[in-house]
Amino acid sequence: MSSPPLVHVAGASREFPAGKVRALDSVELSFGRGEFLSIEGPSGCGKTTLLNLIGLLDRPTAGRIEWAGADTTGWREGERARRRLEGVGFIFQRFFLLPTMTARENVEMPLRARGRPTAERRARALELLEEVGLTSRADAYPHQLSGGEEQRVAIARSLANQPPLLLADEPTGELDIAHAGEVMDLLQRAHTIHGATVVVVTHNPDVAARARRHLTIRDGRLVRDTAQE
Amino acid sequence: MSRLGPLHHARLQTVLAVCAVAAAVALPVVLLSVGRGVVSHEINALSTSGYQLVVSGPGEYGIVQAHSLARQIDAVPTVAAASPILSVAVDLSAPGGGPVPLLAEGVIPAAFTATLSPQESGLFPNPLPLGDPTDSAHFAGGSYSGPAIDDLLVSTPLASADGLTVGSTVRLALSSQTGNGTAFRITGTFGVPPSIFGSTAAFAGLLPLSDLQLLVGAATNGTSGVIDAANEVDVGLAGSATMSPAAVSTAQRTVQALVPYDTVSALSTEVSQLETADTILTGFYVALSSISLSIGLVFLTVVLLRRVEADRSLMAIRRAIGEPARSLAATWARDAVTMGAAGAVGGVIAGIVVVKILAADGPPTVAQIAGFAVFDPVVLGLLALSVVGLAALVSLAATRRALALPLAEVLRG
Repeated sequence: MSSPPLVHVAGASREFPAGKVRALDSVELSFGRGEFLSIEGPSGCGKTTLLNLIGLLDRPTAGRIEWAGADTTGWREGERARRRLEGVGFIFQRFFLLPTMTARENVEMPLRARGRPTAERRARALELLEEVGLTSRADAYPHQLSGGEEQRVAIARSLANQPPLLLADEPTGELDIAHAGEVMDLLQRAHTIHGATVVVVTHNPDVAARARRHLTIRDGRLVRDTAQE
Repeated sequence: MSRLGPLHHARLQTVLAVCAVAAAVALPVVLLSVGRGVVSHEINALSTSGYQLVVSGPGEYGIVQAHSLARQIDAVPTVAAASPILSVAVDLSAPGGGPVPLLAEGVIPAAFTATLSPQESGLFPNPLPLGDPTDSAHFAGGSYSGPAIDDLLVSTPLASADGLTVGSTVRLALSSQTGNGTAFRITGTFGVPPSIFGSTAAFAGLLPLSDLQLLVGAATNGTSGVIDAANEVDVGLAGSATMSPAAVSTAQRTVQALVPYDTVSALSTEVSQLETADTILTGFYVALSSISLSIGLVFLTVVLLRRVEADRSLMAIRRAIGEPARSLAATWARDAVTMGAAGAVGGVIAGIVVVKILAADGPPTVAQIAGFAVFDPVVLGLLALSVVGLAALVSLAATRRALALPLAEVLRG
């Protein structure tokens, strides 16, 4: 008997009450461990909505999301938060580092939320910062970092709990080409070395080119799902 | 980790919230400390009084046959002294000056001195320079045929206000008799004890009971002979009887039997009534204070809710990462408790400073009342703890708001 996919999106739709906008329409999708996917499409087509549903940040108005074969529909917010903490690393276009914490403290945050001992989380944070090349910036606050550095800290934070799934929403959207390349290298590395499943929402063809599987969305519908040989 | 980061983040809001809580706390601090201080002062004054029973009767002067009654009460075994007092407002005329009102108190000098509290004793010369200490020579068994003393003690404020000096002569008369009256020689002065609820002694004079009775027509009248009137008789008990409620009660009943138509009240009853009043007043102060505390806490809640809105993306990312609700609640509780505690401490300090300033520089009456304030650390501590507890409680509103943020919408910006 084969193991269930890491995530199964089963006919999921998402409507927003204001104006009854259907952002996502009956999307059917599955992916397993170790995949590297890109979600592409024009602005407002529903890419981020799909990512939010996969990452349990939002709930579908129809259909369901399954995680490792378990239907997430009935999970309460506390359960969803716990699953996110253990199972997903988020990387956002605008980084979303906490401004009152240093780079190291930002990376420690998911570990602290899991109740890890101080020494362990400090060591793990420094290890991850070293991995993204920011050991020397560990005590810097976000406003003292460049955009590329902030996103590297965000990637380190997303890896802190060694989640099986990394969800990146336009991770290079606010970076120049050089920094964008560095960030994608790190995601590639997380995929290769840590074995994480990576799902990247992007407009950028160079970013999309890193993926092995390409999903295209238009008007809320999944119109193409191609795997790269 | 920068634990107070969010507080630094919105400094103005934090300062305003702390000020609001401090202002809300300062009011009960002032009310409770001054209110309880005044009552404590009066209870203390009553508890340490030189007399424990007061005999009073109805009518203009109340007590009749005062000299005789005092002797009868003196004969009660546990009684140390019985001091009849006649209080009448008269006019005092100094040479070269117009009449000024004077609360004249007629006393039997030795009995009066024996019923002074230790604190009051220091305010009066001892013995009182009012001639015959027993007032019996002039009274002469009710014939008033003995030599009049016509000595007078005046309060220091009165002496100061009207330039009265020891050795000078003044005339005392009922207001209706201005122009006539009797000449009295000032033989001394006495100090004025601080008092709030009692009659003021600031413009009072002391003179022998029989002298005052004759002056105001309280010695005899044309139809029924001698009345020997007084307004009250203060009764001081002896030794350990002063401290024993049972002994006070027994003496009260014994004296009451001597004057069945008059009232005999025990100061311990008044103390008990004041304590009850204190409890009621404290409840009233707390109720009044709850209004200001509510306003302060509402302000704190609004500030916390505004901060949730200001930090909504940060709240959202913490939730997106999976931080448990209890961790978010702890963040807001810590913020609220920090602000609440700062406000409570600031409010207590502000309240104390306000009272101290009033005591030092307020109008005389206010300054006197403020001077009685008692800063009970237990009461102030409980007040501060209550505020901190309520602040933690209102932080739940912020937590609730933070947990209700639509994650996907907020993170999309």
